[in-house]
Amino acid sequence: MMTSMRTNEEWLYALRASDGTQDAAIGDLRNLLFRAVLFFFSRNLADFRGLARNEILQLAEDCTQEALIAVMNHISDFRGDSKFTTWAYKFAINKALMAARRERWKGISLEALSFISSDALVEWAMQDRSPVPSSDRSMMQAEVIEVIRDVIEHELTEKQRRVLIMMVFNEVPMDEVVRHLGTNRNAIYKMLHDARRKLKTSLQARGFEVAEMLALFSISR
Amino acid sequence: MNSKSFLQNIHNTQDEEISCSECFDLTSQFVELELTIGIHEIKMPHLRQHLNQCSACREEYETLRDLVRLENEGEILSVDDLKNLIP
Repeated sequence: MMTSMRTNEEWLYALRASDGTQDAAIGDLRNLLFRAVLFFFSRNLADFRGLARNEILQLAEDCTQEALIAVMNHISDFRGDSKFTTWAYKFAINKALMAARRERWKGISLEALSFISSDALVEWAMQDRSPVPSSDRSMMQAEVIEVIRDVIEHELTEKQRRVLIMMVFNEVPMDEVVRHLGTNRNAIYKMLHDARRKLKTSLQARGFEVAEMLALFSISR
Repeated sequence: MNSKSFLQNIHNTQDEEISCSECFDLTSQFVELELTIGIHEIKMPHLRQHLNQCSACREEYETLRDLVRLENEGEILSVDDLKNLIP
């Protein structure tokens, strides 16, 4: 059966069958997942600069196999609120993204990227200062930066601080932070969320309204 | 991330935000709704908020949306054509 002809029910039935029907469905699904992995890879070729073509294709095969296993393990989670293939593609794209980031960051010490000096923090913040500086605005901007620096250094937990510095200031991808700290995306997201909440609360408590802050950094809302 | 984007993220921070797993569960439905009725008609504020905050989930969502759109339009490249894009 052509893959595009299968309904969700037919996919589920075939993938759970115990005869040749299952083999055919798994073969079709594998091809679709492989195409999704290659689609992601083709948009992110810069991540694979250190690899030869056959190594990239092998990596794509490995991601496909991992995605296929993940789909089969989670098949009972499928609620039918999209096409089955759209749901399954998510697993392929997820595996492809993790593999691509792992390749790009291979050999880079994340430990060194877990810290930032006060000077470097100020320098980072000032890169986006208002293009029309005035003495009042510069002073307020410096105050905002000082609050952010103070919260980061004194109010965040050690883990929140490290995650924030890696991801926000040093642009380390989520999944590399996850691997480095031996945790999962949910935990890292929660740490960043808690850190953002503390920053928002502290800025508001010190009288900085959001609209004011955004204007300082010339953000159009 | 630049400081403007980070301030925007602080500005958009909510007391309650969904996790990456919850986001993952919802993205396939979101993508199909977006391609059917348009993104502005979708009432999934928690998912939108997460996608604005989380670059990993956002990149996966954007890739899924583009892949499904091309597939719907019959424009998705074949495995062999995609392989040929690998240098």
